[in-house]
Amino acid sequence: MAIEKILFPTNFRELSYSALEPLLVLKDAGLKEIILCHIILREDVGFVPFGGYMKDEEEKLREKARIRFEDWQKTITEKGIESRIIIKVGEPVPEIHHVARDEKADLIVVGRHKKMTIEDVFAGSDTLQIIQRSKVPVLVSKHMVQYEIDGDIHDKINDKIFQRPMLVTDWSEPCQRAMGLIKSLDKVIEKTLLFHDLESKVLSEHDKEEIQEIEDDRSDKLKAYCSILENGGVACEPHLGAGDLMDEIIRISRERKATMIIVGTSGKSRLSELLHGSISHEIAKKSELPTLLVP
Amino acid sequence: MQEAHAVDLGEILTLWSTVPFAGMLLSIALFPLFAPRFWHHHFGKISAFWAVAVTVPFLILYQGQALYEFLHIILADYIPFIIILIALYTVSGNILLRGTLVGTPVLNTFILFIGTVLASWMGTTGASMLLIRPFLRANSHRKNRTFMVVFFIFLVSNVGGSLTPLGDPPLFLGFLRGVPFFWTFSLFFQMVVVAAVLLTLYFILDSYFLRKEGIQAPRDNNEKEPLKIDGMHNFIFLIAIIGAVLMSGVVKLGEVNIFGIHRAIQDVIRDALLLLIALLSILTTKREIREDNEFTWFPIQEVAILFVGIFLTMMPCLKILQAGEKGALAFLVQTVEEPYHYFWVTGILSSFLDNAPTYLTFLSSLLGKFYSGMEASEAIALLIKENSIYLKAISAAAVFFGATTYIGNAPNFMVRSIAEETGTPMPSFFGYMLKYSLPILFTTFILVTFLFYL
Repeated sequence: MAIEKILFPTNFRELSYSALEPLLVLKDAGLKEIILCHIILREDVGFVPFGGYMKDEEEKLREKARIRFEDWQKTITEKGIESRIIIKVGEPVPEIHHVARDEKADLIVVGRHKKMTIEDVFAGSDTLQIIQRSKVPVLVSKHMVQYEIDGDIHDKINDKIFQRPMLVTDWSEPCQRAMGLIKSLDKVIEKTLLFHDLESKVLSEHDKEEIQEIEDDRSDKLKAYCSILENGGVACEPHLGAGDLMDEIIRISRERKATMIIVGTSGKSRLSELLHGSISHEIAKKSELPTLLVP
Repeated sequence: MQEAHAVDLGEILTLWSTVPFAGMLLSIALFPLFAPRFWHHHFGKISAFWAVAVTVPFLILYQGQALYEFLHIILADYIPFIIILIALYTVSGNILLRGTLVGTPVLNTFILFIGTVLASWMGTTGASMLLIRPFLRANSHRKNRTFMVVFFIFLVSNVGGSLTPLGDPPLFLGFLRGVPFFWTFSLFFQMVVVAAVLLTLYFILDSYFLRKEGIQAPRDNNEKEPLKIDGMHNFIFLIAIIGAVLMSGVVKLGEVNIFGIHRAIQDVIRDALLLLIALLSILTTKREIREDNEFTWFPIQEVAILFVGIFLTMMPCLKILQAGEKGALAFLVQTVEEPYHYFWVTGILSSFLDNAPTYLTFLSSLLGKFYSGMEASEAIALLIKENSIYLKAISAAAVFFGATTYIGNAPNFMVRSIAEETGTPMPSFFGYMLKYSLPILFTTFILVTFLFYL
């Protein structure tokens, strides 16, 4: 699993270019092409009530997008990466999936690129829909964010996002695939933080001795996983958490100065996710760090 | 009490009270033509403006009486009208025709024929949305596609909807007022004449253009996709819609009082069933089918927003017309006398105003003319028994003439929008009329006049 082709859909909101820049380091990890994609909302140009289709408006929006993309392409080309522009009219979520499928993209980059307030979640409904249905990894980019620790507001710029990724593992298949992805990024990763959590349920349902046994078992597994990464040329640091998973992910990622969180997506059905929620989506929404979701 | 209100108000209102209605309809006619961008972004505000322009003065002047009339038109006409549109739009949006079709004169004429037949059962909007994209895809290799889309609008988006109240909004409004579900089948021969003329003409034109283009149909296409219908189970929901509407016309379960408005219980059940059918259709159909159909709620939202303005502003006009010769529009009631008068006046107005309110206006005019002061459902029963040719004239005209302009019927603009988006050039508002409607449709309607109304 390597990232050779990135799909970068954007609606040109504030700071979207800033979210593109940190991806360019992936050239060293084999990135060959970035597809710059803009979806013009159908209702912005079509279905004028009792009128028709505003072709001239579509042309105008296409031109605007093309000019902006061509400016970005200069930087991409300077880094020795190829790029193409795709501009379509339609509904963003399905169109992005169609483009990703047709172009055989290895990674989709989505997310809000503007400075987000503490009241905001870090991923909107379109982003979550893309994550939920994507068959390829999705990076939820969070370039400039605002978050809260103990009542204090902090600003953060996520720029060197591949430097210290933290992989949250539950030993599942998507996590195994995420390990493969991390290995392919060995040239750009300084160190990987490998994290597993002993959840509150485990702590409350077992006695002290049993917990110790579980802890030893999980620590050994973490070390074994770390060895796999190290053998692949990626430095690794194991971390075991204890307690609420979300709280622990956020705590460890801050303490250890992680630059990104990588998590396998559950592959749960939509109904199951509605009923039980999804940890990967929660991380994408709540962590101030960019989140890479691997299906 | 209800009828006393209706008659009293209709007799005392002046023509000024119809200005917001005229303003609303002129806005729909003129803004898309002269200021499409402004209209696209502000049509909701414009609709709200005209609605306020009629409701506020009426509520101040006539208070409870006006409130009753506005609530009545919203609860008894607008809400059922929007619900049936939502149900048909949703269910048909969940049916997707896949496959590689190659547009030839025979196949194209067949698609138009199927669309014409389906339109009466899934609504002109539903049939149009189901078939326009496959029709355009099938003809993507053809140079001259404009006339194809125009004939599609003629037949599938309009004429085909004339046989049942599900077919076209004006007929559903007639059904809500008491016209029996199957009465509209009496328009069958008129519909056959118009459809036969148009399909024959289409076939001749398509054959001529195909020869002129000198294009061979693409052969041995490796990516040929077999024909299939996804979301097929939604046809069961379409049958359920027909059943629900039929039920409300047959069963009598008494009345229920909603905000002081008496509504038949079977009508309330019908509306609830229609919403349930739409919901079930969404829940049981894969999201990918809707996405591949490029289904969006936007067009139906637009219709819902615009029609709340139309229905509210229409109220005074309907009241005056219902008052017949005692109302301020007595001159119109007296001038328009013969069935062919009704056919052409209803038709021409349906061309430039939306056909649903136009139909309702002339239905009220007929009731005022023949049975002034009588309860609507009773008057309609008598109208069908004694003067059905008048009802046929306004019903046929409202449906058929909806095709003569882009603004005559809601699906016209949706089809035009999809055709233009996929690269088929469409004529301007006046180009459509001068090049297609006047020579083709008006000639056909003259034939209909001679055959059925003289």
